[in-house]
Amino acid sequence: MTDRLVDLAANPAARKWMTRLGLPIPMPQKLRRPRGAWSERPLQDRDVMIGGVPDGTLTEILATTLASAGANPWLVDADTVLASFQAAGEAWGRPPHTVGPDEVPEIKPHALVFDATGITDPAQLRSLYDFYKPRLRSLARCGRAVVLGRPPHKASTPAAAAAQRALEGFVRSLGRELGRKGSTAQLITLADGAEERLGAALRFVLSDRSAYISGQPLHLSKTVRSYSDQPLRALAGKVALVTGAARGIGRATAQQLALEGAHVIVLDRPADDGPASEVAAAIGGSLFLVDVTDSDSGTRLAEHIREHHGKLDILVHNAGITRDKTLANMKPELWDLTLDVNLSSVIRMTEQLDGVLNKNARIVCMSSIAGIAGNVGQTNYSGSKAGIIGYVNSVAQRYARRGIAVNAIAPGFIETRLTDAIPVATREVARRLCNLSQGGQPWDIAQAVTFFASPGAAGVCGQTLRVCGGSFVGA
Amino acid sequence: MSRAVVIAGARTPFVRAFAEFVEMDAIALGVAAVQGLLDRTQVPWDQVDSIVWGGVILPSAAPNVGREIALDIGLPASVEAMTVTRACASGLQAITLAIAAIERGEADVVIAGGSDSTSNAELKLPQSFVHKVAPVAMSGKSGPADYFKLLGKISPRRDLIPRAPKIAERTTGEVMGESAEKMAGRNGVGRAEQDVLAARSHHRAAAAIESGRFDEEVVPVTPPSGKTVYRDTIVRGDTSVDKLAKLRPVFAKNGTLTAGNSSTLTDGGAAVLLMSEDKARELGFTPKAAFKSWSYVGVDPADQLLMGPAIAMPEALDKAGLSLDQIDVIDMHEAFAAQVLSILKMLESDAFARARLGRESAVGAVDPAKLNVHGGSVALGHPFGATGARMVMTMANELASTDSRTALLGICAAGGLGAAAVMESVD
Repeated sequence: MTDRLVDLAANPAARKWMTRLGLPIPMPQKLRRPRGAWSERPLQDRDVMIGGVPDGTLTEILATTLASAGANPWLVDADTVLASFQAAGEAWGRPPHTVGPDEVPEIKPHALVFDATGITDPAQLRSLYDFYKPRLRSLARCGRAVVLGRPPHKASTPAAAAAQRALEGFVRSLGRELGRKGSTAQLITLADGAEERLGAALRFVLSDRSAYISGQPLHLSKTVRSYSDQPLRALAGKVALVTGAARGIGRATAQQLALEGAHVIVLDRPADDGPASEVAAAIGGSLFLVDVTDSDSGTRLAEHIREHHGKLDILVHNAGITRDKTLANMKPELWDLTLDVNLSSVIRMTEQLDGVLNKNARIVCMSSIAGIAGNVGQTNYSGSKAGIIGYVNSVAQRYARRGIAVNAIAPGFIETRLTDAIPVATREVARRLCNLSQGGQPWDIAQAVTFFASPGAAGVCGQTLRVCGGSFVGA
Repeated sequence: MSRAVVIAGARTPFVRAFAEFVEMDAIALGVAAVQGLLDRTQVPWDQVDSIVWGGVILPSAAPNVGREIALDIGLPASVEAMTVTRACASGLQAITLAIAAIERGEADVVIAGGSDSTSNAELKLPQSFVHKVAPVAMSGKSGPADYFKLLGKISPRRDLIPRAPKIAERTTGEVMGESAEKMAGRNGVGRAEQDVLAARSHHRAAAAIESGRFDEEVVPVTPPSGKTVYRDTIVRGDTSVDKLAKLRPVFAKNGTLTAGNSSTLTDGGAAVLLMSEDKARELGFTPKAAFKSWSYVGVDPADQLLMGPAIAMPEALDKAGLSLDQIDVIDMHEAFAAQVLSILKMLESDAFARARLGRESAVGAVDPAKLNVHGGSVALGHPFGATGARMVMTMANELASTDSRTALLGICAAGGLGAAAVMESVD
């Protein structure tokens, strides 16, 4: 589970010598991963530079979000947005600094945020270059580059659509470039009317909690009714269910949900009674042992929830298995079991739990990078995980009216029992095949799931977010 | 139910720590203030129900300072007492507790106030020393061999060097001046305006001393050394903005806070006599003022430690049903000029009001002519537990002796606490 290269690279002396010797070894940056619950000001005292071609609709929410999260704003050539940042500065004690277009102040900013919502023509993309080019070198380790745009398919002209779609390509490549220093790049697009929903999403993306997400777009819309933003104890009073919660990603997720105040029902197979009950006891949750492939598992669970908790607010379909074999050699039962656990039971349980789902609930499913890119020997697994993407995309539209957001996470290489079983050489290579040159931790997935489970994630609907360190494979 | 009223106040001169009062601990300073109050008011001792006292650096052998004061003075044994601590708002806390007790009918005559002696802060041996020594020293079965073994376990460096007391936040480890320095930056408060406020504080305090305005509040105190102190000793009437501008920043290299625009460590005590209005009339006392409301709040100490009053003051105003422009005089504790100016900016800001107070528009601008009319803690000094009582007595006297009808108090305190109160004159 430990990545010795990350530990070695964290030692400045070793880092220096490895660079000096010119060893062809990547030196992954140790990522910042704060323990405990989410904080009110995740960007406390961090410098954030802001530039762009704004259309004006985001200025207020951007200013408020940054100042209330504790960040010190540095505005680049931004007379038009100054007033909003000054007001937010007065409210939260974070007065904006202003710098000229070519000025590079002597700070190491934590984040470079570019508001590209006003870009309607490819020629204007030059401003993106002008903002990032001179400032990239000063970006702090484990920093963030975040571009804010508009959904291309809603653009009023083909040129505007082209320019907005260009942002995604830009961010994907920028993520590759920044990975060496543990930094990441992200695109957030905002549909008309979803501007307010930038708050929680931006706070998550700029915070250390998004450490292992790189080069990804996050599309915000107002499809899901009812958004609210609450940084602290966002899940207080909520009832959450996590399947496969005895170990790894499920356990980390259950822990984080509990830290944010949720009561977590820890679900796993009866055979995992021991570890599952340990998790439940440690987080003050409750235990429910059932095999998700039992045809009535969801019905029994619904009864249990109705009796003991009333309603379910957060449903995390985390349980999953791999049964790898090339298709030519795969026995039918391996195919059936994988598809059943990873996909069919997700659909079945969601249906059976429909009656106890509270309004404004959240459903988070687990896809995989393998479901996006494919992998030798994983036709069954990749099929099931790609199926999740299709399922989430479709079912989300139906649930949106009830204020319920359904989304998926696609983990990349995460250091768990599953990946520990991979032979050493293969594992060592697999780890490095991403922008950040290292595997992720279950913690990273837990953070993304927790964000999707929060009221502030209402803007995200039917999406599959890759938490893969910017994997080199997959679209 | 009869409302509580302020009858009078008395305090020791406020003097710099480790100076004239170095031999007087918080109890002795409290005795001096309460004795002065008893002498000046001539309140019958058998009428006093209780003492409610505030303190920050409490003597560990006798933390209930209030009771020790009553016993040292020789008040009737029936005068019960308690001691409260709420950092720099302890004095005000003691007073509002006393008022609540009176208005609930628990008492009719209460002496409330506070005292602190930074000079007598106890040096603490590391807890590791205590944990090693106590089991041996407290056991009846310990013999010479046990003590001998103990010697071998004690590390002179780790266990024996006492920890110097520091005014640092327990949770953040930040010294208060560093927090105030941060606030200056966060609220765009410059050096010049801090020095202007500090100079004004000194000039007004000096004028109050010269004019005799403080004579009804300050009682001369003779410490064991025998040299009587008649007046506050920290006030510098001859200071100027130019002189203050020459001082070097003390909390950050390019900082704006200096010894001149920050309050200093101070020894002193202050006491206020409170009665139910009916009892006051019965005993023939003339009430000076009453409390309309008060408010205590908490903010995140890791963000803007001393901004509490910017939230507490509007809250107290709301409870009193008054707006800022209906207030005639304002007394704000000056821990640092930077903190006062930061809070004033917050009160003036519409954006702050909307985001932090849930109000449509700003609380309002404070007229400098109404603020700290007889100086504040930067000039007078700040014996932690006494400051609240000092402010209450100055405002009570102001309401009784001038045309002012309403007063607003604001105090910031360690731990991210804020306190405020609205007082009114009594006809």
